[in-house]
Amino acid sequence: MRISIRNVMLISSAAIALTACNKTGSMNGKTDADIKETAYSERVYWGDTHLHTSNSIDAFGFGVKLGPEEALRFARGEEVTATWGLKAKLERPLDFLVIADHSGGLGALQTLFDAPRLLIQDPTLLRWYDMMHESPEGRLKVTGELIDMAGSNTLPAALRDPERTQKNTTKIWTNHSSIVERYNEPGKFSAFMGFEYTLMPSGDNMHRVVMFRDGKDKTDKVLPYDPGQGDTPVSQLWDYMDAYEKATGGKVLAIPHNSNLSNGRMFEMTGPGGTPMTAEYARRRASREPLVEATQIKGDSEAHPFLSPNDEFADYGKAGWELGNLTMQRATKPDMHAGNYVREALKRGLAIEAKTGVNPYKFGMIGSTDSHTALATGDENNFFGKHAGNEPNANRASQPQNLGTRLGRFGWNYLAGGYAAVWAKANTRSAIFDAMMRKETYATTGPRMTVRFFGGWNFAADTLKGDWVKAGYATGVPMGGDLKEAKGAPKFIVSATKDPIGANLDRVQIVKGWVDANGKLHEKIFNVVWSSPATRTLSGDRLTPVGDTVDVATASYKNSIGAPQLSTVWADPEFNAGQKAYYYARVLEIPTPRWVLFDVLRYKAKLLPGTRVKDQERAYTSPIWYHPKA
Amino acid sequence: MIGRIVPLLREPLVHFLIAGALVFAMFGGTVDPADRSITVTESQIRGLAEQWEATWQRQPTPAEVDGLIRDYIKDEVYYREAIRLGLDTDDIVMRRRMRSKMEFLVAAQSENEAPSDATLQAWLDGHKSKYATSKAVSFDQVFVGEGDSARISAQLKTGMNPATLGAPLSVPAALEDSQVEDIDRQFGEGFANRIAQYPLGQWQGPVESGFGPHIVRVRKVSAGSVPPLSKIRQKVENDWREANRKSREGKAYQALLDGYTIRIAKP
Repeated sequence: MRISIRNVMLISSAAIALTACNKTGSMNGKTDADIKETAYSERVYWGDTHLHTSNSIDAFGFGVKLGPEEALRFARGEEVTATWGLKAKLERPLDFLVIADHSGGLGALQTLFDAPRLLIQDPTLLRWYDMMHESPEGRLKVTGELIDMAGSNTLPAALRDPERTQKNTTKIWTNHSSIVERYNEPGKFSAFMGFEYTLMPSGDNMHRVVMFRDGKDKTDKVLPYDPGQGDTPVSQLWDYMDAYEKATGGKVLAIPHNSNLSNGRMFEMTGPGGTPMTAEYARRRASREPLVEATQIKGDSEAHPFLSPNDEFADYGKAGWELGNLTMQRATKPDMHAGNYVREALKRGLAIEAKTGVNPYKFGMIGSTDSHTALATGDENNFFGKHAGNEPNANRASQPQNLGTRLGRFGWNYLAGGYAAVWAKANTRSAIFDAMMRKETYATTGPRMTVRFFGGWNFAADTLKGDWVKAGYATGVPMGGDLKEAKGAPKFIVSATKDPIGANLDRVQIVKGWVDANGKLHEKIFNVVWSSPATRTLSGDRLTPVGDTVDVATASYKNSIGAPQLSTVWADPEFNAGQKAYYYARVLEIPTPRWVLFDVLRYKAKLLPGTRVKDQERAYTSPIWYHPKA
Repeated sequence: MIGRIVPLLREPLVHFLIAGALVFAMFGGTVDPADRSITVTESQIRGLAEQWEATWQRQPTPAEVDGLIRDYIKDEVYYREAIRLGLDTDDIVMRRRMRSKMEFLVAAQSENEAPSDATLQAWLDGHKSKYATSKAVSFDQVFVGEGDSARISAQLKTGMNPATLGAPLSVPAALEDSQVEDIDRQFGEGFANRIAQYPLGQWQGPVESGFGPHIVRVRKVSAGSVPPLSKIRQKVENDWREANRKSREGKAYQALLDGYTIRIAKP
């Protein structure tokens, strides 16, 4: 008799789970249509487009106990308890969140964890099962092996068989969408449906976050697309996106990330598999992938010192990550850097456009976290780790943190994570998504500085005296826009205001990339406005450094240097009307302590020699492109 | 009598037993591990086929039904063998899974509850401060920056146009009925509450924001209020669900724990 009741319990709980929570709606009962949009984007909205929860195969493996509901509550500013018991809360809430769990084996590890052990036949799965149940460390090891095997195309079939996993995936996906609906609050907080497409042939990171404009009524009609293992063309993802839009009338976009770990494959000069780049391929890529995540916990992909030897700030977020691809199965050779970094990709796009007529790499920029803790933390003093295995503790900064191997990468190589800033006409899914499609976005490495960037032909030096935002929209284009029909040199309004609770600003730079008549690629960085101009001068292209007020012992800094706001109108002094070019703004803060110093302060962490303890955090705007007449 | 049954129905432990009994009835009878005969009934086969159909949106072929039955028998054989081997008692994994399933059952039950307006109103009344909008402030501000705050303050008091004074800063020169969080979001932590104490209609300061000193004229301060339930129903329901789930988990455990005598040896 006792046995029968136990048996019954298992069955009944499963039956009940299937019927749980299937409501649609929003938190305030409103829809996007109820929220009035402003005439132009008056306000910047902050969010994370790349957050993992316990539904991600690796996040669960790393031990995270928090699911989508906790992730949403946390992003909205509420206090939650992190996996290992620490209370976690954001200093300021976010305005939007995309939960992007891996489509590959969505929830599979959780299912394996929950499975009756006796029914597991695959020896690898059985071993993993035992390791996972043995201890948190066991889970961590399983996840390392799993990412390694996914990269080398040797995952157990049972974990990747789409038919076997479909039922489970459907359940997770539709339960997830119900939760997202419950926390979406048009006008106040936008909760997006999304997933991560995790293609990584031989460990080369070709990952994309896929983000929907729509709610449960449409997204429930599809399942997240899983490219499987091996080397399938990314165009299959675009096929999936086409099919979704056709079937539902909805909209969806994709955001590549961690190009720095792709071993040159994220931004190739050729089409897939070394075939020639075609206009059709370029058109599809540009329309499907309007944004790139330029900075996140696993390093910064803006620029690399090898490609930009004159850029003294290009080494930010490179240590460790520049050594190899995601799984470290293959080392990164110098000739791979060009396909790894955003600034170079923007130049390559111009060169491809010159040949095919279409620019495949015409994208804007955002930052995000890629946190696997369900906690979208981007601040140095509140870094909850890449995954639950390195939530705050005394050792994480100095432990090897490799996914596949144990060489070369250490905890301190992680950045605290970035955020996406979006100039939208309202805080709704539709308004934010539409702003992303027109690339009116910028990336930051965590601080919330306000950055405006307009290009035009008619701005004057005194434009800044009046209502220059209105003027920017009326007579120019915002970040992400295009300039045509040159009338003299292009002029740019750039204005950066510090994060009101953060560090002062060092300088604003405009990065220009162009392609010359011979097809050769060039770049130049112009320092256009900086703090303390009376004492800091240009010598050639170099500007006197801003100084450094970081006190290592107390993990603090002073705003006695730098400026709260920097703005100017700048005209390109080297403009050549016949050359295709792009311009984007880079804003640098004064030096501030990195998260590792807070670990020293709070946990008496011991740091390895060579650990970077301070940095200049920054923002990258989406570019403005100049097109000569054909 | 009714009054006695209704509270009982809210007990999580009762839910366990009712759900268990229902499924028990559906699947028809006891399984004795010592029994080495397995009978697959017609209704069980129908159940298997229906489950298949729900998943694949079509009826299984006869071969597929055979497969389902074979799989069911395999489950049963392994299950009984495992019980014979005592794997259910000495296996830490089994023990943890059982615990986790028990906890999950309570959570899933509470997820299905549809709270009444009265329940949510009571929750709202008990947590008013959590739902109250914060106070709203209308004000004008001039950013002093590196300038002379005493001089700017004096100029403002003589009635000079604020737009002609101070240092440039891309934050609004005036805000209307802005809530504390919204002001702080633009001016930095604590700014709204600092200026809300000023007498109305007078230029005051300097007061520090995240950018530096400002001279501020507060025009209006309105107290916050608690919105009616109809305006914040889903928000209240989300919070009630979360709290309800936790409390049910706690109560269910307590109800079970109460049935035990616990003795802990001193170290």
